[in-house]
Amino acid sequence: MNREEAPGKSPEEMYIQQKVRVLLMLKKMGSNLTPNEEAFLRNYAGVVHSQMSQLPQHPIDQGAEDVVMAFSRSETEDRRQ
Amino acid sequence: MSLQMSEAEGAVKVEEWQQTFYASDSGIQSGATTIQDEDQSECSKKYSISASAGDSATDMEAQYSLTRAQRVRAAMFPETIVEGETVLTAQSSPDQPTNVQRLAEPSQLLKTAIVHLINYQDDAELATRAVPELTKLLADEDQVVVNKAAMIVNQLTRKEASRRVLIQSPQMVSAVVRAMQNTGDLETARCAASVLHSLSHQREGLLAIFKSGGIPALVRMLSSPMESVLFYAITTLHNLLLHQEGAKMAVRLADGLQRMVPLLKKTNPKFLAITTDCLQLLSYANQESKLIILANAGPESLVFIMRNYNYEKLLWTTSRVLKVLSVCPSNKPAIVDAGGMQALGQHLTGSSQRLTQNCLWTLRNLSDAATKQEGLDGLLQILVSQLGSDDVNMLTCATGILSNLTCNNARNKALVTQSGGVEALIHAVLRAGEKEDVAEPAICALRHLTSRHLDADLAQNAVRLHYGIPAITKLLGQPHYWPVVKATVGLIRNLALCPANQAPLRESGTIPRLINLLLKAHQETQRHGSGAQQTYQDGVRMEEIVEGCTGALHILARDPINRGEIASMQTIPLFVQLLYSYVENIKRVSAGVLCELALDKQSAEMIDAEGASAPLMELLHSPNEGIATYAAAVLFRISEDKSSDYRKRVSVELTHSLFKHDPAAWEMAHAVMPLDPGYIPDDLDAVYPPYGYSDLPMDGLPLDAELHEQYMPEMTYDPRQVYPNPL
Repeated sequence: MNREEAPGKSPEEMYIQQKVRVLLMLKKMGSNLTPNEEAFLRNYAGVVHSQMSQLPQHPIDQGAEDVVMAFSRSETEDRRQ
Repeated sequence: MSLQMSEAEGAVKVEEWQQTFYASDSGIQSGATTIQDEDQSECSKKYSISASAGDSATDMEAQYSLTRAQRVRAAMFPETIVEGETVLTAQSSPDQPTNVQRLAEPSQLLKTAIVHLINYQDDAELATRAVPELTKLLADEDQVVVNKAAMIVNQLTRKEASRRVLIQSPQMVSAVVRAMQNTGDLETARCAASVLHSLSHQREGLLAIFKSGGIPALVRMLSSPMESVLFYAITTLHNLLLHQEGAKMAVRLADGLQRMVPLLKKTNPKFLAITTDCLQLLSYANQESKLIILANAGPESLVFIMRNYNYEKLLWTTSRVLKVLSVCPSNKPAIVDAGGMQALGQHLTGSSQRLTQNCLWTLRNLSDAATKQEGLDGLLQILVSQLGSDDVNMLTCATGILSNLTCNNARNKALVTQSGGVEALIHAVLRAGEKEDVAEPAICALRHLTSRHLDADLAQNAVRLHYGIPAITKLLGQPHYWPVVKATVGLIRNLALCPANQAPLRESGTIPRLINLLLKAHQETQRHGSGAQQTYQDGVRMEEIVEGCTGALHILARDPINRGEIASMQTIPLFVQLLYSYVENIKRVSAGVLCELALDKQSAEMIDAEGASAPLMELLHSPNEGIATYAAAVLFRISEDKSSDYRKRVSVELTHSLFKHDPAAWEMAHAVMPLDPGYIPDDLDAVYPPYGYSDLPMDGLPLDAELHEQYMPEMTYDPRQVYPNPL
């Protein structure tokens, strides 16, 4: 599937474009790539360059959001001093 | 009572009264002691029967010869005077009556009698005789009479015996109350208020005031322009609220709160201390009262006091009101918006332990409403320093406040990190031991500090450098308190983001602990069935533990040795099963961990062998970009050694699904796609709509694991297509 053809309008080219996007997204999310995948990106550096600007700007997978703790559910006991 | 006297004798009596009322008694003759009032606003009146100019020594001697009882009897019942007893006379000229003598005789005579009574202050029996008459005088139409009667009654309250007599007369107390609220004379009102104030120091007095309708009258006095009236009224109400059953309800019904809150603008610290204490007594555990205080701008006034006064007792009472209000969802944001956090933060380092603790409790209650507040730098730094305390209450509050204030606030996170917060929190965790009220917020705070801000990596490294990893890992052990476990798992996930932490986490035994927790939590969810039912333990859903543990393992798996250890513990079947979870986040983290594990060929084969392709194909269509990306990456990795036909099918599915965010590109690709039956299956090409699947009915689509297993892994699966015949 990893045909080394010049970018065009063929389905294979579209597939390459999408695979590059997936791999770039993985890197953006902090994941590792296999040596073959790294080589794939090097092979299609031009596609990588064009895809970089189209990646979403917001963070994708940062884990669970911060959540507040509700401490004021009940009145604390008040002892006169 | 009218005394039958001759005019001359009456004149004598009036003369006597005139002189004694304004004369000063040294105490030598009468033995009267000096009277000091609390507020010193009244003159110390000492009454004496003293000789005027012209009296001879003989007259003086005659005076001294009468006993006390005889003098009183002479004053009140002159017709009973025994022959030989003399009556004092001080009239300078018998032919010249004074103005006073021209006043109505009965009241004047009575006043004279009362004056004598005052001289015999320890004689309650004598006071008893005056009470009925004084009661009538207090209701007199003549305001001067009322005024004088009020003054006399006020004097009677200064001594215990006479005060007791007053308390035991409900009619007297009622008369005082009515006089106070009906008079237009400020001095009368002041005297009457003073009377009630004096009576309020005894339980019987409180009851008498309460039963006489004193509370509504006192509440009305809170609008008086006279400061002393205000003082008497608020102090008396305070005593009632403290000690009289039913008083709180009565004050609320009389709109006491509406009258008290505006008094917070006064400037006398002691007055304010009593007023704030009244507010606290009225609003504790009473939601309606809290809302009334809010409606009258109470929070702003209370915060102003905290900011501008130094009187410890006032600060303490005010902090107690704020603490009571801080549990009210409506008051909370108002207090925060008025600068309450900053104002309370001013009093955390003083010498008053009770003030500090009240401020901390209040800050803790408010903290979840203050995550976006600015100007909290000083407070945050103080809280970090308080993490060094051994006081468990202080630790509970400091960790709780820090946990909330660092929630989704990058600025606060950075400041706490730079102020040594990580090290201080680790020490708090170590000292907390089994105390969850300290451990949970401390771990949550560390979790906040280790993600989503510019200094997150600084915090991640700091945890390791301050030997926090073993202590944190230990919190995953038994006995499980699930809120702490949940927080700890989230923290571990963040710590693993730092490559330097991967080995220490592994060496402290984090991975097997996480996997055991995951298995345990997953078994719980399976036991109670999938779907709608959720399982809670200690208020935590087991699905949250599944998500958290898998998420932590996902990040740990970025390290090659860690992912080998994770895979070796037979986790891949479970992760594949989790791809079917109804919880979106669980799908995300399980796809994520499989994505990392699939980097290793052996693990990729195991993932494929577990039938992961089918659910992964479905996840390609997820609207969540992270999920779709992970799913695609796993499919790439497990298809590397597959037949070209399989890889084509995967690539087509991938291309079509990834195009759904880019309809123009899909149209372009679809238009130029060659009709190669070996490349594109005819049925797939005919089925795919251009973009967006929202018009397709999602009900009834086969999504559960059982149905997925019917399909061969090589076949593409399209959830949008309803297959009429099983393949």
